[in-house]
Amino acid sequence: MVNVMKGILVECDEAMKQFLLHLDDTFALGRKFIIQDLDEKHLFISADILDILQTKVDDLMDQISFPLTEKGL
Amino acid sequence: MSTTISGKNLLQPMGLQCKDLYEYLKMRSPEMLNKLYNNPPICLAVYRELPEIARHYVMRLLFVEQPVPQAVIASWCSKLHVDVHLKVVQVMNELNIWKEASIPGGLPGWILNATFRKNLKIVLLGGGTSWTMSNQLETDSKPRDVAFLDSYALERWECVLHYMVGSQQQEGISADAVRILLHAGLMKRDEEDGSPVITQAGFQFLLLDTAAQVWYFILQYLDTVEARGLDLVECLTFLFQLNFSTLGKDYSTQGMMSGLLTFLQHLREFGLVYQRKRKAGRFYPTRLALNIATGQNKPLSRDLEKERYIVVETNYRVYAYTNSNLQVALIGLFCELLYRFPNLVVAILTRDSVRQALKSGITASQIVGYLNQHAHNKMIEAGPPTLPPTIVDQIKLWENERNRFIFSEGVLYSQFHSQTDFEVLRDHAVSLGVLIWQSERKRTMVVTKAGHDDVKKFWKRYSKGAN
Amino acid sequence: MGPPKRFKKDTDRGKWKKRKEDHDPDYVNDEDYNENDAEGIPDAAKNDVEKQDEGALEDEFGAKDYRSQMILKTDNISRPLWVAPNGHIFLESFSPVYKHAHDFLIAISEPVCRPEHLHEYKLTAYSLYAAVSVGLQTHDIIEYLKRLSKTSIPDGIIEFIKLCTLSYGKVKLVLKHNKYFIESPFPEVLQKLLKDPVIQNCRLRKNIEDETKDKDGLITSVLNKNKAPQFGAKSLPIVNQPASGGAPTVSNDSATPNQTNIEEIAIPEDITTFYDKIDKEDEDEEEQQLKTVSFEVNQEKIEVIQKRCIELEHPLLAEYDFRNDSVNPDINIDLKPSTVLRPYQEKSLRKMFGNGRARSGVIVLPCGAGKSLVGVTACCTVRKRALVLCNSGVSVEQWKQQFKMWSTADDSMICRFTSEAKDKPMGCGILVTTYSMITHTQKRSWEAEQTMRWLQDQEWGIMVLDEVHTIPAKMFRRVLTLVQSHCKLGLTATLLREDDKIADLNFLIGPKLYEANWLELQKRGFIARVQCAEVWCPMTPEFYREYLGCKMTRKLLLYVMNPNKFRACQYLIRYHERRGDKTIVFSDNVFALKHYAIKMNKPYIYGPTSQSERIQILQNFKYNMKVNTIFVSKVADTSFDLPEANVLIQISSHGGSRRQEAQRLGRILRAKKGAIAEEYNAFFYTLVSQDTMEMNYSRRRQRFLVNQGYAYKVITKLAGMSDEPDMMYKTRDEQGQLLQQVLSANDTDADEEKIPGEGPRPMIRKAGNMASLSGADDAVYYEYKKSAASSTANKHPLFKKFRT
Repeated sequence: MVNVMKGILVECDEAMKQFLLHLDDTFALGRKFIIQDLDEKHLFISADILDILQTKVDDLMDQISFPLTEKGL
Repeated sequence: MSTTISGKNLLQPMGLQCKDLYEYLKMRSPEMLNKLYNNPPICLAVYRELPEIARHYVMRLLFVEQPVPQAVIASWCSKLHVDVHLKVVQVMNELNIWKEASIPGGLPGWILNATFRKNLKIVLLGGGTSWTMSNQLETDSKPRDVAFLDSYALERWECVLHYMVGSQQQEGISADAVRILLHAGLMKRDEEDGSPVITQAGFQFLLLDTAAQVWYFILQYLDTVEARGLDLVECLTFLFQLNFSTLGKDYSTQGMMSGLLTFLQHLREFGLVYQRKRKAGRFYPTRLALNIATGQNKPLSRDLEKERYIVVETNYRVYAYTNSNLQVALIGLFCELLYRFPNLVVAILTRDSVRQALKSGITASQIVGYLNQHAHNKMIEAGPPTLPPTIVDQIKLWENERNRFIFSEGVLYSQFHSQTDFEVLRDHAVSLGVLIWQSERKRTMVVTKAGHDDVKKFWKRYSKGAN
Repeated sequence: MGPPKRFKKDTDRGKWKKRKEDHDPDYVNDEDYNENDAEGIPDAAKNDVEKQDEGALEDEFGAKDYRSQMILKTDNISRPLWVAPNGHIFLESFSPVYKHAHDFLIAISEPVCRPEHLHEYKLTAYSLYAAVSVGLQTHDIIEYLKRLSKTSIPDGIIEFIKLCTLSYGKVKLVLKHNKYFIESPFPEVLQKLLKDPVIQNCRLRKNIEDETKDKDGLITSVLNKNKAPQFGAKSLPIVNQPASGGAPTVSNDSATPNQTNIEEIAIPEDITTFYDKIDKEDEDEEEQQLKTVSFEVNQEKIEVIQKRCIELEHPLLAEYDFRNDSVNPDINIDLKPSTVLRPYQEKSLRKMFGNGRARSGVIVLPCGAGKSLVGVTACCTVRKRALVLCNSGVSVEQWKQQFKMWSTADDSMICRFTSEAKDKPMGCGILVTTYSMITHTQKRSWEAEQTMRWLQDQEWGIMVLDEVHTIPAKMFRRVLTLVQSHCKLGLTATLLREDDKIADLNFLIGPKLYEANWLELQKRGFIARVQCAEVWCPMTPEFYREYLGCKMTRKLLLYVMNPNKFRACQYLIRYHERRGDKTIVFSDNVFALKHYAIKMNKPYIYGPTSQSERIQILQNFKYNMKVNTIFVSKVADTSFDLPEANVLIQISSHGGSRRQEAQRLGRILRAKKGAIAEEYNAFFYTLVSQDTMEMNYSRRRQRFLVNQGYAYKVITKLAGMSDEPDMMYKTRDEQGQLLQQVLSANDTDADEEKIPGEGPRPMIRKAGNMASLSGADDAVYYEYKKSAASSTANKHPLFKKFRT
């Protein structure tokens, strides 16, 4: 037998993988979404979470960036 | 463990594909190509666009009336550069410039396409009927000089661009032109009120240089030609006649069929030709039409001062010496605009503004390319590098930031009973080119969504057979 | 067909502003303290020209559209600047008249950013106050601005300039012959003031009939202006060469990069003629005879009258006519004949002594550009008792060295007054001490008490305030209450406070007299060419997992101790040691400081390190070929010079402090000899852990320097690091052990260095206490929470308790 599941393969660096695991652990997206932890750089996740996940990633990037530029105001 | 990643990243926008002449022609059928090769100017344009080695081959074969063994032709190119030779063979095949023919004795050979050969000879050696446009005209009482034609062409072309960015600075464009923009996917109908709005592809289009824009636009136009009841071959032929015409010279419309006259009016609207009146009986090609197929012409002797209008500072400030709404709109694609003075715009590159552009499908290298192309003379004097390297880096880093993840739709196969089962299925997926991740230790693999059906079928057959 | 619908541009404008607000308050501000006293600001100074364009239309692309408010001149190409209705000015640095415009703008406005090609300045009430106080007149400011501009000047700007300058700078408080006078060249202004009952009450009337008095009893005098003093050895001409060798020869402060190759672009004549006029006014005033009127005021009521004059919109400018001060004895001090001033040092001093008297104010020079020589020269010019205030014991020693190096002063003339060194003050000419020595309130030793009393009894000729922007206004005011001096010179590298309270100091000390352009000094070889780099160190997965899950205070320790950061640091240290460079590594976090230093076997200095040990380490760093790298905590930010260093690595820093960043850069700015061949001769690395808040702080910190034209190169991978042998924390095992150490560290380790006496962060600090005298509180970043009620935010306490 073999088990077959549809979803999305995610490839990313190790730190970002930790970030996804963290979101999964803390139910940050409202539910678990990681189907399988494949290796250091790969995860298999539910397909329907993609949009909300992308928003969370954007939030993280927003948080750690700061406008270098001042508008002179 | 080894992985292969294929499948497009689900969140990446598609880039704008700007085909060159070769890419355009290779998509045509051999019949269509043969029709086109009946026209000497097209043969000349095609010849000029061929790779250098291919041009040598054509020259060597031009007067050889029977097939030449392929091995002989291959020997013309050093063995060290066999890849170049193979590439040339591919191009010559795709464009139907030669065809395979066997030589008595059975050796494979190549022979030049007879139509192509005949008409290329005419272009190079003369003879046949004149292929250039007619200029049997009385002298124009009000001749137009090159400067006039340049400014006319620019003005007409910018009208289209202005329309795209929704600027109110210029007059509108014809409904026909709007249809072309919509067809080309550069604009689309707004979902709410149906009015045209610019698309992702449109943004990328705006960042191209003028020559590339014109060529892209014309290719899109040619796609619609037949739907308009025009003859594609006729239009293309005329286009290539224009391609080889002389700037500043006027040509007669005599003998042009009504379809071609309609085509001429379209070209007039976009600034490729100038006519005083619709029925003037004469027209002037502009620089936009010249060398159109090369995509390399630096058209329009525009004031270089005006072209080089952008200063980029190390503190992310962007200053644009312009009052043109079009140029301001272009800067606004990836900058936040702060102030507008009568001859200067003060803007700033921010992470948000650049991300906005990236989301619209504009790439970091397009932004950098645009800034480079229009960099102010003071920037060039201070360089190289022209642009501050830290700014270029940062724009790329902002792009990379969006590429931290690659998402591919796929199907996960796991919990195989045996290592053999796993290996068989995996090897099959590899042979289909659909495997995107696998681990022997975990007996787990991921295939692309598209490849799932085939893999599934194979698995069913396989497991039946095994049982 | 008509125009199509505009594409929707859903920029999340305002998003970053919002983000700024709900940011973790712990790290946001360097120093915030509420000053509740609103009194003491002239109303005009509250004007904010920034708001004047709130009504400006936006064009279809979202820019403020000023096109309707100004007319482009036909010869705009030969004019160098644009003036926006909100007071921002944009100047082309490549214009042939750049020099004219630059000198002028620096006098009337604040620089916002000065990168390569286009510079931005901003008109403010304070900058205009500074302009009039160095002698510019309303009419001249407007006229010259008109001539330099490519367009017509918006009406609102002209109004604003008038508003801010008409009443400012007209009245001076002058101390001469030990009597205080209110002096003005405008009799009508004094008449107006004298109608005020409060001022009448302060006036000192003497019965002596004097012919020079007019019907109002005003003293009219013709002021034969003194020749502006020469600095440096009197016989020497102004020297054009920078003191450190190798830099190209430049002509006296007129060398702009553009002047060498002017392609005869016609400079409008109105600009050159007017420039000559202004230039002359500034420097050759001695020929003029200026008629002034004055009246004497009661010394006890100085503060009352100062306050009242502000209320009447005529803030008093303090000037000291030291040449006519016959009561305070001269001190015998001169610059050594070998001492040579650089052009910008000379220029800044000319702003101070331009009319032969000493103006109070602030001079802004980058670190390493020779601020102390400016201070020493000012003291040698005034030649009265001088008090130098700095912010650490080590710094006191260094000031003493500076005096001995540049001037004829010897040990007997210089008295140090610190917790460790108490020279006998009696009879000395120069007293060097720290702010905390003067202001601390607890009981002093008998000896210190005596010195303090003596110090308070003196009438100081000049007070030099070093690193003036590192001390809070409160402490500052206390200094001014305790010590009397005739003029004050503030020195700083950055007119920058995270709380934007520069204005307070402007009015407490005096206007900014001069501010140098960093990039220009760098180009001319006066300061080092620094390559700034931000090195991105990926968090290891284990550290990042902990980081994501832990509380804020612990996050700091995790990103500072990130093994990849440690390795980057180790690699950079080795790389530069091989090059023969001298490297300082800064860490605000003591846990990391000790761990890094001990692990790599390098000496380190932090709060508890004793004075003698500090000096020993610094001496070794300077002279010992084997000691090329030292680790320091933030105590080294301002307190002592490390002139030998040319590489700086930051592994942990204080949140988003722009000033700390600038100060740290300053540690390596001293121009290096013989390094001209290389493109860069100094290196400034900031190591940041990727995907953590540190990235955010790092960018915040860079803002000031980026506006000075510095560019930070982002390094995402250190080439060669993976091939480097014997690197630490290479294996998962070692990294795991490090993680365990970090996790078991206690909460105080997780925080930045707590300086004794600094107190818990959100609390208001009492200025100075006994413990702080250990020298441990050399550099203090005052961090106070912003009060929720920011209604008082715009209030400026001016001249408050200026003098008792």
